[in-house]
Amino acid sequence: MAIDMKRTFLGLAAAGALALGTGAPPAHAQDGVIRIGVTLRMVVENGLKYGQMAKEELEAVNAAGGINGKKIEVILLDDECKPDKGIANVNRFIHQNKVHLVMGSTCSSVSLPMVDVTAKEEVPQIVPHSTNTNVTKKGSAWVFRTSVSERFYAAVHAKYLAENAGKKVAYLYTNDGAAIGFANDYMAYMKRTYSAEPVYQAQMQETDLDFRAHLLKIKSVGADVLAIGGQLDAIARISQQALEVGIPSKVRRVAASAASNAPVPELAGDAVVGLIYAAAFNCKDERPVAQAFVKMVQEKYKVRCPDHDFSQAYETAQIVKQALTAAKLGLTDATLKADRLAIRDALANVKNFTGLASGPINFCADPTPQCRDGNRTGILVEYTKGGKDFDTKVLARVSFEPDFGL
Amino acid sequence: MTADSAPLPIAAGVRARLAQVHPIVPWLLVLLALLPLPLVLPNAYTQYVVNVMAINVILAVGLNIVKGFAGQVTVGHIALMAIGAYASAVLSTKLGLPFWAAMPAAMLVAAAAGAMVGIPSLRLEGAYLALATLGLAESVRIFISGTEWLGAAIGFEGIPPPYLGPWALDSHYAYYYVAMPLALLGLYFSFSILRSDIGRAFKSIREDALAAAASGVNVPKYKVIAFVISALYAGCAGSLQAHMAPGFLHPNNYTITEMITLLLMVVFGGIGHIWGGVIGAILVTIIDDLTRDYYEYRMMMFGAVIVLVVIFMPRGLGGIIDDFLVRRRFNVLRGARQTPRTDVHAA
Repeated sequence: MAIDMKRTFLGLAAAGALALGTGAPPAHAQDGVIRIGVTLRMVVENGLKYGQMAKEELEAVNAAGGINGKKIEVILLDDECKPDKGIANVNRFIHQNKVHLVMGSTCSSVSLPMVDVTAKEEVPQIVPHSTNTNVTKKGSAWVFRTSVSERFYAAVHAKYLAENAGKKVAYLYTNDGAAIGFANDYMAYMKRTYSAEPVYQAQMQETDLDFRAHLLKIKSVGADVLAIGGQLDAIARISQQALEVGIPSKVRRVAASAASNAPVPELAGDAVVGLIYAAAFNCKDERPVAQAFVKMVQEKYKVRCPDHDFSQAYETAQIVKQALTAAKLGLTDATLKADRLAIRDALANVKNFTGLASGPINFCADPTPQCRDGNRTGILVEYTKGGKDFDTKVLARVSFEPDFGL
Repeated sequence: MTADSAPLPIAAGVRARLAQVHPIVPWLLVLLALLPLPLVLPNAYTQYVVNVMAINVILAVGLNIVKGFAGQVTVGHIALMAIGAYASAVLSTKLGLPFWAAMPAAMLVAAAAGAMVGIPSLRLEGAYLALATLGLAESVRIFISGTEWLGAAIGFEGIPPPYLGPWALDSHYAYYYVAMPLALLGLYFSFSILRSDIGRAFKSIREDALAAAASGVNVPKYKVIAFVISALYAGCAGSLQAHMAPGFLHPNNYTITEMITLLLMVVFGGIGHIWGGVIGAILVTIIDDLTRDYYEYRMMMFGAVIVLVVIFMPRGLGGIIDDFLVRRRFNVLRGARQTPRTDVHAA
């Protein structure tokens, strides 16, 4: 009996400690502090580093006395690329932490419902990573995006490949939001511009491991281009298996922007040589601002070649700081609504921001994609070497008009 | 006395009086007591968490019917929730049904799916049934991920909130008055089922299906009924999830991780104990929320809780309550026996 009681007590104590002891007390909104809620997909390759960098970049101003004498406090949460977690996070930011600004998320499927919440609660939201075109098409007056929209990305590689490789495209993609967006936008562009239908298309599961059956069929249809949509492991796997089934190198391979993440060349090895992708940033960028950034990431976060998710998180933090400097903030409970409005208006006034993006970032007041998709420049990158010491070269840099692809 | 047979944890004297009134009356009193809760909660986020708790309570109570009462090992319950959620979303957005019609219809759709899940249970048991239901859960999620008119991997958007006349119940406070009464209603029916012939048949199947059949219980019929009733609960929880602001569904919300979390609620609370399931749902929702700040270690902490609960509290909180009640009764009986029988001495 005594042993039973002891075991029960231990079990209850463990569960109770977790439920009550380790929980952080509810954050109290402190007057005079600018509060920013950041939600990203954190527990993935480099995910923690993206979040950590965004937080550290924003809070770095505190050492120098803050922005206009006001300190910044960042609340950082993981949404696991799950919409319900993202919705919970943004509700916590807005109602419990009483944030002045929300930054997030990584996955489009999380950013999309977040836009509805921030629009209803009238809190400015800046999206650093999501590329789905609909994020800014919802007409929210409170959303801004620093990542390049899929409507631009699709055209960057579609135009280049149509002119340099051919118009017969075979599409093989997984069923995640970014991959579907990549394939659909590419197909739509080819149909709209060249009246070209896909020579082959297949959608696979995100967790699938073997794509060879489809790749063998693609080999037989005589495609000019193999379009690979998916997250980084799927892209690496398809690239490697395309080589294994003997798809010749004259069939150009293009992948979704997740191909810019380091694990792709590391996992696929030399199978990525010749693989091209559209991105917002390349670590070989020779501009001093880009090289200073690459050096900082190498030293601080131990990443040899930071991808565009690093650059976009960094860029977003810089834009937020610029907007906060311009906004007149009361930073009391009574002025919370007015402060949020002031920050939104300050973000809408960001013009010709030049940083790591390959072109200037511009926002304006209208709640339209033309005004809120701030970064309209994509680059086309090709892998020239795979493995741990992978290498790339930039093939093209394309800027678009604000209403392109709408 | 087990926790199953105790409809409400109230004093014996009060229960004796309540026995003279209709069984619904105590529940109405609880409903009245819970109505002002939003007034004391510190902010809308806490209210949001309470609404999620109410949905989880419905889900856990429903799972307890098939798993706890009828003893069927299912790990596909989350798929029934997904079916209810998407059915409600489709009915309200594509057919224009209001929430009040879409929700019961979605519950029926989930119940039909539940019947289909129940059919394998006639031939499968234990780990094999668990595998079959797990397969169903993954199939549903994959089907949604690849179906464009269900939003595929982008998500299903624009699901309207419930309306009460011209008023949209789209705030967390207003939604509480939809979710909480439904959770209470679900609990009430769960106790009613347990006390009915059906509940007794479930428990006899759980204890020994062969003996139950020998005693005249139609085992296949009651197994399917258990799955159907459980699916009705899952459909209700799914519909509530779909219509809660901002009205967005995504297949990533119905993965194996969510299923494990749901199982944890029931195991933590105690399989077969309704109140244990309720407490489990509430505690797991709180743990889920509190550990969000520790995202690096969150899954590890969750895993640790499961391991510790299984090692130290295999029968969950419900088991502890049972042990306490049994021990107390034993002590009372032992005390009564040891008391000198003065009447004998007097003789």
